[in-house]
Amino acid sequence: MWLGNVIQGDLGTSVFFRKPVLSVIGDGAETSILLATMTMFWIVLFGIPIGILSATRHGTWVDQVTSGGAMLFASVPTFWLGLYLILIFSVGLGWFPSSGFPSLSDDGGVANLRYLILPSLTLAAPNAALIIRLVRASMLDVAREDHVRTARAKGLHPAKVAIRHVFRNALIAVAAAFGFTFAALVSEAVVTETVFSLPGIGRLVVQSILRRDYPVIQGVILVIVILYMVINLLVDLAYARLDPRVSLK
Amino acid sequence: MSALMTFLAIFRGRKLATAGLIWLCIVAFAAIAAPLIAPFDPFEFDPVARLSEPGTPYLFGTDHFGRDSFSRAIYGARMAVMIGLGSVFVALSIGGLIGMLSAYFTRLGHVLMRGVDVLMAFPALLLALVLMTLLERSVTNTIIVIGIVYATTTARILFGMTLKLKGEVFVDAAICSGAGHSSTLFRHILPNLISPLLVQASFIFAFAQLQAAALDFLGLGLPPEVPSWGNMLSEERIYVTRAPWLLIFPGALIILSVFSMNLVGDAMRDSIDPRFKDDIAGV
Repeated sequence: MWLGNVIQGDLGTSVFFRKPVLSVIGDGAETSILLATMTMFWIVLFGIPIGILSATRHGTWVDQVTSGGAMLFASVPTFWLGLYLILIFSVGLGWFPSSGFPSLSDDGGVANLRYLILPSLTLAAPNAALIIRLVRASMLDVAREDHVRTARAKGLHPAKVAIRHVFRNALIAVAAAFGFTFAALVSEAVVTETVFSLPGIGRLVVQSILRRDYPVIQGVILVIVILYMVINLLVDLAYARLDPRVSLK
Repeated sequence: MSALMTFLAIFRGRKLATAGLIWLCIVAFAAIAAPLIAPFDPFEFDPVARLSEPGTPYLFGTDHFGRDSFSRAIYGARMAVMIGLGSVFVALSIGGLIGMLSAYFTRLGHVLMRGVDVLMAFPALLLALVLMTLLERSVTNTIIVIGIVYATTTARILFGMTLKLKGEVFVDAAICSGAGHSSTLFRHILPNLISPLLVQASFIFAFAQLQAAALDFLGLGLPPEVPSWGNMLSEERIYVTRAPWLLIFPGALIILSVFSMNLVGDAMRDSIDPRFKDDIAGV
C-alpha cells in the first residue's frame, strides 16, 4: 500500500503538520542542502591540503601534530564542539548568529549564509579529520610505488612529484571515501541541526521521533537511504573514471 | 602472562599511545571503584548549592539540581565502560558470527550478507535513532542498539577476513584430517582472527562512546536520571552561558577517553598480522 503510493510520489500525510510528508521534507531541504554544501567546502578546503602537508612531511613534528590533531578532532562529540563554538563566537564575540536559519529568499538574501558558518564548521571538523588521515595514509601508500621513485629520479621537483604523481593516485582512495563521508555527514547533521536549531531535515527526524510522527520518520528515512545509495553509485562510477584499471563489468 | 607482555610490547616507543592506555586504566579503575571514590551521592540534590563553581567541596561544581558533578562524572565512567564493553560484546558476537558463517557457508552468506547490506544503507546514528524509537530508553536497549549498528561493519570485516583464511592451506589440512564444520570454524579459523578482532573492538568501543553521547544529547539514549557523561552534557546545556564548567568536564572526559581508545587501537593495528591491516577501518 505505502510502497505503491510512494512510487506515485505520495509519502503520506504528517500527523503533526497535517501536510503531505513530501512538502514537509521539502521545507527542510534548503537548509540541509546548503549546510551539506558548505560542510563539503570546508572538508575539501582543510582536509586535503593538511593531509598532503602531513604526508609530505612524514615523520616530522608537522606530521605528528597534524595527524594527532586530526585524531583528536575525530574524537570530539559534534554537539559539544557546536555548543562551545556558539559560546565563543556567538555569545562571547558576537560574530555569528547562534541559531536558526532564515531562507535565502527572506530578507538578507545570501548574507543569511552566515547563519550556517558555525554549524558547517562543527559538522566539518570530525569529517575533515577523517579525510586528513585518509589522504595521508593513501599518499604514503602510493609514495612507495615504483613510478614515484622514477619521477623523483628524473629530477622532478618534490612538490610536483607530491601533487602530480602521488596525490593524483591517492585521490582514488579519497574519492571512494566520500560515500562514507556522506553517511557520517547525515548522522552528525541530525545532531548539529538540533544544537543550532536549524530548520533542516536532521532536526525534523529527531522532532518527528519525539512526536511519534511516523509518516514523516518513514519518509525522511526513505529519502536519505535513496540519496545514500545514489551517492554510493556515483562514487563507484567516479571510481571507474579516476582509475582506468577499474572496470565496471 | 606472556600474552600481557606481548600486548605491552606494542606500546614500546609510543608515548602518546602509552598515555592513552594509562588514561583508560584510570577510567576503568574509576568505573570499578566508583562508590569508594565519589565523595557525594550522585543522585542527591543540594538545592542550596545549585550551580556552584568548581572548588571545595564540589571539585567539578554542581548542576542545576545541586548534584555533585565530580561524583556524577565518576559514576559516568561506569556507564562509559558498560556501554563500551556491552556494545563491543553485542557487535562482535552478532556481527562476528554472521560474518564468519557467511564466509564459510557461501549459500547462507548470500542471504545473510544482503541483510547486512540493507542495514548498512542506513547512516549509523540514523539506524540507532530508528531502533531506539521502537524500544524504550534504558541502558540495556542503548547497548543493544549501538551493538547492532556496529555489528554490520563487523560482519563485513569478518566476512572478508574469513574468506581470506578459508583459502589457506592450514584450513584444507584441517578439513582433510577430518575436522567438522564447527571445529574448522572455531578452532582453526577463529584463533587467527583474535588479534584483528581486538583491534576492531577498540574502535567500536571508541565510536560507541560518541554514539551514546549523541543519543543522550538527542534525548533518545540512556534514561535522563542515569549519570552518564552524555546525559550530563545534555541536561546542563541550557546553563552553558551561566555555568560553562558543567559542560567542560564531561566533554573533556568523553574526548580524552575516545582519543585514548583510538590511540591504543591505532597502536594495536600497526602491530597485527599485515594480511588483515587493510580490512579494519578505524579513525
